[in-house]
Amino acid sequence: MKTSTDTANATLLSTGYPQTDAIYDEMTVAPGVLRPNWDRLINSLSSMGEQELARRWQTAKQRIRENGVTYNVYGDPLGMDRPWNLDAIPLMISSAEWRQLEAGLIQRARLLNLVLADLYGAQRLLRGGLIPPALLFANPGFWRPCHGIRVAGDTYLHLLAVDLARGPDGVWWVISDRTQAPSGAGYSLENRIVMAETFPDLFREFRVERLASFFRSFRNSLLRLSPVARDNPRVVLLTPGPFNETYFEHSYLARYLGFTLVQGGDLTVRDSRVFLKTLDGLKQVDVILRRLDDGFCDPIELRSDSFLGVAGLVEAVRSGNVTVANALGSGVIETSAFMPFFPGLCRRMLGEALKLPSAATWWCGQPDALSYVLDNLNFLVIKPAFPSKGMEPVFGGRLGTAERLQLVERIKASPHDFAGQELLNLSTVPVWSEEHGLTPRRVVLRVYLAAHGDSWMAIPGGLARVSSSIDTPVVSMQRGGGSKDTWVLSDGPVDTFSLQPPRGVPVDLVRGVVTDLSSRAADHIFWLGRYAERSEHLARVLRCILVRLTGESSAEGPKWESLMQMYECLESPDPEKDEAQEQPPGLLDPLRDFEQEILSRIFEERRIDSLAATLNRAGRSAAQVRDRLSGDMLRVVSQFGSVARNDDTAAWGYASVGDALTVLNSCIGRLAALRGIEVENLTRGPGWHFLCIGRRLERCMQLVKLFDTIIVPLNLRTWPALEMLLEVADSSMTYRSRYFTILQPAPVLDLLMNEEMNPRSLAFQSKDLIEHCGILSSMPSGVGWPITKQQRLDQAAADLFRADVRMLCEPGAGGTREQLSERLAALDAALPAFSNAITHIYFSHAEMERTT
Amino acid sequence: MIYQVRHKTTYHYEDPVSVSHHLVRLTPRNFRGQVCRGTHISIVPAPAVRAVHKDYFGNIQTFFTLQEPHDCLIVEASSELEVHSIKRPDFAGSPSWGTVVELLANDSSEEGLDAYQFAFDSRRVAAGKELAGYAGEAFPAGRPLLEATLDLTRQIHRDFTFDTKATEVTTPVQTFFKKRRGVCQDFAHLQIACMRSLGLPARYISGYLRTLPPPGKPRLVGADASHAWCSAWCPGAGWVDFDPTNNCVPTDGHIAVAWGRDYSDVSPIHGVLLGGAKHTLDVGVDVMPIQ
Repeated sequence: MKTSTDTANATLLSTGYPQTDAIYDEMTVAPGVLRPNWDRLINSLSSMGEQELARRWQTAKQRIRENGVTYNVYGDPLGMDRPWNLDAIPLMISSAEWRQLEAGLIQRARLLNLVLADLYGAQRLLRGGLIPPALLFANPGFWRPCHGIRVAGDTYLHLLAVDLARGPDGVWWVISDRTQAPSGAGYSLENRIVMAETFPDLFREFRVERLASFFRSFRNSLLRLSPVARDNPRVVLLTPGPFNETYFEHSYLARYLGFTLVQGGDLTVRDSRVFLKTLDGLKQVDVILRRLDDGFCDPIELRSDSFLGVAGLVEAVRSGNVTVANALGSGVIETSAFMPFFPGLCRRMLGEALKLPSAATWWCGQPDALSYVLDNLNFLVIKPAFPSKGMEPVFGGRLGTAERLQLVERIKASPHDFAGQELLNLSTVPVWSEEHGLTPRRVVLRVYLAAHGDSWMAIPGGLARVSSSIDTPVVSMQRGGGSKDTWVLSDGPVDTFSLQPPRGVPVDLVRGVVTDLSSRAADHIFWLGRYAERSEHLARVLRCILVRLTGESSAEGPKWESLMQMYECLESPDPEKDEAQEQPPGLLDPLRDFEQEILSRIFEERRIDSLAATLNRAGRSAAQVRDRLSGDMLRVVSQFGSVARNDDTAAWGYASVGDALTVLNSCIGRLAALRGIEVENLTRGPGWHFLCIGRRLERCMQLVKLFDTIIVPLNLRTWPALEMLLEVADSSMTYRSRYFTILQPAPVLDLLMNEEMNPRSLAFQSKDLIEHCGILSSMPSGVGWPITKQQRLDQAAADLFRADVRMLCEPGAGGTREQLSERLAALDAALPAFSNAITHIYFSHAEMERTT
Repeated sequence: MIYQVRHKTTYHYEDPVSVSHHLVRLTPRNFRGQVCRGTHISIVPAPAVRAVHKDYFGNIQTFFTLQEPHDCLIVEASSELEVHSIKRPDFAGSPSWGTVVELLANDSSEEGLDAYQFAFDSRRVAAGKELAGYAGEAFPAGRPLLEATLDLTRQIHRDFTFDTKATEVTTPVQTFFKKRRGVCQDFAHLQIACMRSLGLPARYISGYLRTLPPPGKPRLVGADASHAWCSAWCPGAGWVDFDPTNNCVPTDGHIAVAWGRDYSDVSPIHGVLLGGAKHTLDVGVDVMPIQ
């Protein structure tokens, strides 16, 4: 165990930092000799002490988890969202070096943009022999329907990303360009926020260039892209949805930039204009910042098999009614196969030499390049010339003889599908961990450029990504690598701008409900309400049973029967519940089996009716609308996934009853926190009403089920269930204050059903439901409100409340309370009917489009 | 010949469709040997948006949007055309196919580039070793291009059976190649794929056949619907059409509407609907010689 108190001058480097001559290390020149700036950084961190560093970094990691920063790894057995991996040591770049890089990057952006304009326009480069025609003709990224579409300001690339790597000679090389919908800018922002909070002292000391002005400029440029001059152009960020690897980032950027996050189904084209489907009707969209690849954007003119896009979008763009950033089709040059031609293109098109070199690349579509690649396979990485065809890079030197022959055959069969790139011996940068101290990892820096007037602006910094080990030649988040913040050190004072509106400029005051709530988002909010409420009900019932089960010694008697009765209330109404899971015959220990069943009902994620699964569903609904939820709300919801997952014990089978009770208690607490945030912090717009309707409907259904299962057939053997019922409905205290120890069905039912003052009663739910429904149905979007269905529901509820409770609780000849049962049945039928009707009327916009 | 062409497509939807967008290519092109005197496309119900453009390959496309709920859609295109029988080039005297492959790769003339773009894989048609092998029978080294292409047309007609039940509109060429049964779209795709596998350009043509054959001639397959065939490029001769479904070199009985790399570039009618549940489709094509 190392601590800072070991020696007075302990440094982060005391355990050594391996270094070889063949690799450029960002931090060290020679073993123990640090580069300028890095020496200061390591000294500062060392004097902070490893213990303090570890403490701060624990907090930082906690922040990342709580903020729900995730990256979806396709095919990850751990589930969809994996926490974002950030390292504590920034990549540092001096201001002189940065200025050089910046100039090269801006030149590159200008060049790539000119190439795109030519390929989608006059195509002079083909005729002039500057680009081999086959590179365009064989390119699936060349979308012919986009050819000839006029692009405002001839700007195709509104946001461009360039991946840079440093070779052993210390020179930065471009290894790839991302031209259609580059990812990661949002992660770089989140990395920065976490770092700035964790090391505020270092930020001041090192005068780190701020990122906010870059995003301000990007935001303003997007607003200016509106084809029509408006005070408030509507900009949306189009995402493929929560299953995309970088969905977190889409929602994060949308929120940071103040744009609405939409999926293809939220948009519709009418009159060759794009509209957002909101609860208040259709609202015209002026600018679409897309995170969708070219081909998927429009099933009419691009890929007809796409379900992610917007039908008619290309026509809307062609008509000049909407701007898409980046311009549709700009993915055509997102391939290293273009790299060999950039030096010539730069001289011809810009009249200057290419400032930033690309890693040496050969496109096999040219005979000379092909033979070079085949002769030098060992020293090259073979990449797909057209990434959309899907192929992982292959390292020639790592192939066995058979694999090698196979690859050669493939290349020879369709040479233009391949490119060979010189294998860069990537530079290394230290990463820090408590166990290993500083160790080197390969690094690639992704820098973003945003269109700015007729030029481009580079983000001062960017997303540094590191390999998972020093032996991994590829740096990829998909392969378990990590990321770093990048610090560009300033010479002068730092621009401390933050993305807040300027103080002096008057702003129009807006009141009331301003909403761009899409129908799809409303749908998810409604279900968030239902699942959250269902989770709480499950947790309360399971806790009620589990607490009593521990004191139980035999599987008979009134208490046992009452417990079974209580459990019956949880029988999921879902018809899909399979009968196959019936108990095996010959139970030896019913007590133990019941306990196992309860534990399984809490923890087993694969059971659709478990608490864990229900919480997951609530979390997923929230994830769909995460750009609309406050940070506090997200923090609470993001913990849902782990509530029922015992972090330390892998299998729930090992959980003790005590563990389970702790989990249930904390779960109920967190759900209450969520409800509290909703009530105190949510704007009373349509989203709020849908959330509440979802909650009220769900609670009504649960109460009806409870009354029907417990009170209707109540007899002396199940009498203790009455007390459990009060506990589950969180009304024991009120009951006791009114009736002391007298336990009878009529007063219980009166308190839980009719008492409007009791927020847990059915009457309260019903009253609140009617209120929310009234507000929603009087909105412009409420035209199709399911009036009959609501009337039937109101009627069923009124019938129940009007009846004399004492009479309802009087058992009939068969021992059951038929009148109560009948009235509950009417309500039980009306509730789902109403819920379905609302879903149908409001959310059916979200229905899938079909191609013919 | 002068023709009157009527192409009527009728959709009936089980539930009303609230919004639908369509892209149609139903206006026959003009080119050497064919003059379209006029086309009228009637759309019922009347669309709110209707826009006509030339696409990348010079075909005329019509985009339209229906914004009112509708449970049926009728698109009817009527055209009048002159189709001239052009002199058949000298097949035996055409350049050897190998020289054409080499020539094109280095030809940056307008015409050369225009032909070269059809030598590469497209969404529906991918070249392959297997197909190159199959085409090898008709394409021995040094053989004149057009002669070899005609032979390939014959070969495909011989080895494959026309069967409207065997494939669907999205069936890949390779599946058809294994199944050996399909429709004109599959026949055309296969021949194009074979030629591209050899490095030769070939394009896909959608169009029509005259409904009733001239007296004494047999009725051609595909005459009551839209038809498809392919075209090969030969220096000097330009584009020469081949119809593998009917084993013939089209003359004045084939009417071309649009061309592209494969079906997906030229599909006559394609739409995206919101709502509608199931639909039924009825297509009728009439090609009447009027002179």
